[in-house]
Amino acid sequence: MKKIILTLLFTFCLLINIAQAKELYLFNWSEYIPDEVLEQFTKETGIKVYLSTYDSNEAMYTKIKLVKGEYDLIVPSTYFVEKMAREGLLEPINHKLIPNLKNISPKFLNQSFDPENKYSVPYMWGSTAVCYNSARLGKGYIKSLNDLWNPELKGKLLLPNDVREVFGLALKKLGYSINETNPKHIEEAYLELKKLLPLVKVFDSDSPKHALLNEEVLVAVTWSGEAFIANSEDQNFLYAYPKEGYSLWMDSFAIPRGAKNVENAHKFMNFILRPDISAKISQEMGYATPNQAAIKLLPPEIQNNPIIYPSQEELKRGEFQTDVQDALLVYEKYWNELKNN
Amino acid sequence: MKHKFYFFKYPLIFWLITFVLIPSSAIFAVVFFSFHPTNFFSLPLTLSNFKKLFELHFVQIFLNSLFLAGGATIISLLLGYPFAFILSWLTPKKKKLALFFIILPFWTNSLIRTYSLVLLLGKKGFFNNFLLALGIVNTPLELLYTKIAVFIGLVYTLLPFMILPIYSSFEKMNKKLLEAARDLGASSWNVFFRIILPLTKSGIYSGCLLVFLPALGMFYIPDILGGSRDILLGNFIKDQFLFTRNWPLGAAASLVLSLIMIVLSTLFFKEKKIKFVHE
Amino acid sequence: MNKKKLFSTLYLFLIYAFLYIPLILLTIYSFNQSKFSLFWKGFSLKWYLSLFHNSFLLKSALNSLILATTSATLTTLLSLIGSLGLKYSPKANKNFWLAIINLALVSPDIIIGVSLLIIFTLLQLKLGFFTILLSHLTLCLPFGVITFLSTLEHFDFNLLEVAQDLGASEINVLRYIFLPLLWPAILSAWILSFTLSLDDVVISFFTTGPQFEILPLRIYSMVRVGIKPEVNALCTLLIILTFIFVGLAHFLLERNIKGGKRT
Repeated sequence: MKKIILTLLFTFCLLINIAQAKELYLFNWSEYIPDEVLEQFTKETGIKVYLSTYDSNEAMYTKIKLVKGEYDLIVPSTYFVEKMAREGLLEPINHKLIPNLKNISPKFLNQSFDPENKYSVPYMWGSTAVCYNSARLGKGYIKSLNDLWNPELKGKLLLPNDVREVFGLALKKLGYSINETNPKHIEEAYLELKKLLPLVKVFDSDSPKHALLNEEVLVAVTWSGEAFIANSEDQNFLYAYPKEGYSLWMDSFAIPRGAKNVENAHKFMNFILRPDISAKISQEMGYATPNQAAIKLLPPEIQNNPIIYPSQEELKRGEFQTDVQDALLVYEKYWNELKNN
Repeated sequence: MKHKFYFFKYPLIFWLITFVLIPSSAIFAVVFFSFHPTNFFSLPLTLSNFKKLFELHFVQIFLNSLFLAGGATIISLLLGYPFAFILSWLTPKKKKLALFFIILPFWTNSLIRTYSLVLLLGKKGFFNNFLLALGIVNTPLELLYTKIAVFIGLVYTLLPFMILPIYSSFEKMNKKLLEAARDLGASSWNVFFRIILPLTKSGIYSGCLLVFLPALGMFYIPDILGGSRDILLGNFIKDQFLFTRNWPLGAAASLVLSLIMIVLSTLFFKEKKIKFVHE
Repeated sequence: MNKKKLFSTLYLFLIYAFLYIPLILLTIYSFNQSKFSLFWKGFSLKWYLSLFHNSFLLKSALNSLILATTSATLTTLLSLIGSLGLKYSPKANKNFWLAIINLALVSPDIIIGVSLLIIFTLLQLKLGFFTILLSHLTLCLPFGVITFLSTLEHFDFNLLEVAQDLGASEINVLRYIFLPLLWPAILSAWILSFTLSLDDVVISFFTTGPQFEILPLRIYSMVRVGIKPEVNALCTLLIILTFIFVGLAHFLLERNIKGGKRT
């Protein structure tokens, strides 16, 4: 019986494949595009979307590097665009096929990780800054990165479980770039972090909201999405952009080498960049859209939410991560050092 | 009949060669290559990866993992052994149901269950609220992000891997033996240590193996419940393969791990064999 | 004797409580109004409704079930046959293959995943159901073999010979002596493999293709965005379905036995 069902299923799948040469293989973070949007795209264009998901850039990169032609569109973050483009893993993007690119705010085009957007089209962006419990600590408790090194916070601090983000904090505190490749500066940052470590209770980049809302920790260095959730559960969770600076991230669409449905991939990007679609996505997901035509369509409480959209002033202090190449080994060495002592 | 069985191993051996031996050897060969920032590994051949391993506190990482996996194995054995014993005395009907209820929770995704434990163990979690409401404690217990939470999580995920093999060794134990021993005046203590324990030894051995080895490489449960303050073998190897993309180093770590484990388990197995012969 | 029984029942109860409390929590949260399922914000059925519209999630759950059933069945077969063969191999030979099985057991998932992906690419296999099935068989096989070997350890093969000497055909020996004796091990091996296969993330990530997405992958990658209550709803439904299914099977089996089909 099972066999019959299985055979039927297989034939069914095969039939679908033959009937629809119009398809798109999307490799994306999970729940990062609402299903309705995918369905609407299929309805309007007749192109069927196959969605596969990944949980980290590193995992996605490794798979794309090892296989060829399985996926048509991927969503690498920030410097992974630069890294993958340099290694010849991406196909150039034909701007003529994406007229809606004009909707993207110039602030988010032409970034250092992809000059002239040869390989990537911005999808969503956000920040990694400090979320804290103002009910327990008082409003304005965190203004500068120095406030994290406050001994009062012993056992009350959460940091991301991510080498680059953690070192970024210390580097910024010392006045360096978060993309430092000079081993000397990285070592200085390491010495700073050694002082910070006794205060840390948890390293978590996946779900810091749990630790914050449970009051296991009072301060968490976390990315904007988590802070937004914590804040919407309890308004006492505030989000501060430290005065020395903080890191920004941006997820972009890119086409991996050997993609079979390049034209469909362009159609999809153009569809996503339509103001109504971008607005729908941003509202549903709670992240910032780089699409300036879409922002106007959002409800005012989201447009003016300081967690999602930092002010011009604050935005200037943010820095995008870039690929540090070989220096990554130096970071990793000190990271091991840090965690094992 | 025995003679025929001998040939039965070939499909398994074919499988092991194609999907375990060849891929593993390929990965282990990578140990002798050098780091390359974009190609995972490259020439020249080198032995320095082993040295680098120890510069990165590999011993410490190994001991961290050993402690967690060993602890989880012992707790699972202590909890699972009596459980399997009681189970084996139930009526066949009840037995089937009881076994099914043991395994059912494990068909729910383990990540989801681990996050459920976070909700349970947190300072504002259900367990603490329960204790506070009953007046057993005055301030919430620190459970989440401690070793206790990690052990709870590991045991919670691995318990059936201990219970099932032990249970099946209880099942094939001839219960009449116990009655006979009792009739002959053996004390409960003696019955347990001289009959039950030796007869279920192979189940214990399998159960421990099936809990200990996977626990050694596990990292997301200790990370979520323990706050990832320690680097474990699983994290370390994953980081080398995905994050720094230093495959030679990751392969070296995995090779050292495999060698130690194989030596340990073969020694254990041999020793057990000898004992059986003497019995 | 009664005290003993009470103690046993209490012990069973405590272990079951330990296993089930997190599941009960999960079920409760599937009815939570709040999107991020941290605090209770009122009763709602909306996640069940939106689950039924989430075709991607449902499809991946179905894929997972198909995959786990297939791989558990094949693993059980292959490891049963293989363990019989191993038991009757020369000791040195047996120990060597046991060491390889332990090697598979101790290899971190990431290494199995990456190395199998490389093998599949070299063999130019199209990534999808077939490749992920091969990799899950590799993942589950050691568990199956170890379960069977520990059962076969005390297995009295004289029984089979006696039966044959008494004129039983090989098939009858297999059917009436061998299988009933091995039944608990077969069940254990199947259940262990099914469980492992249903829960694997890392190996599956590398060895599956874009057309065969499975549930654990979706859930695992969901963490960064927050696990949706729809997933809680889905898990609750799966638990209830399993209950119904097993209850039904139990009921039917009972009736069969009472009907006198048992030999």
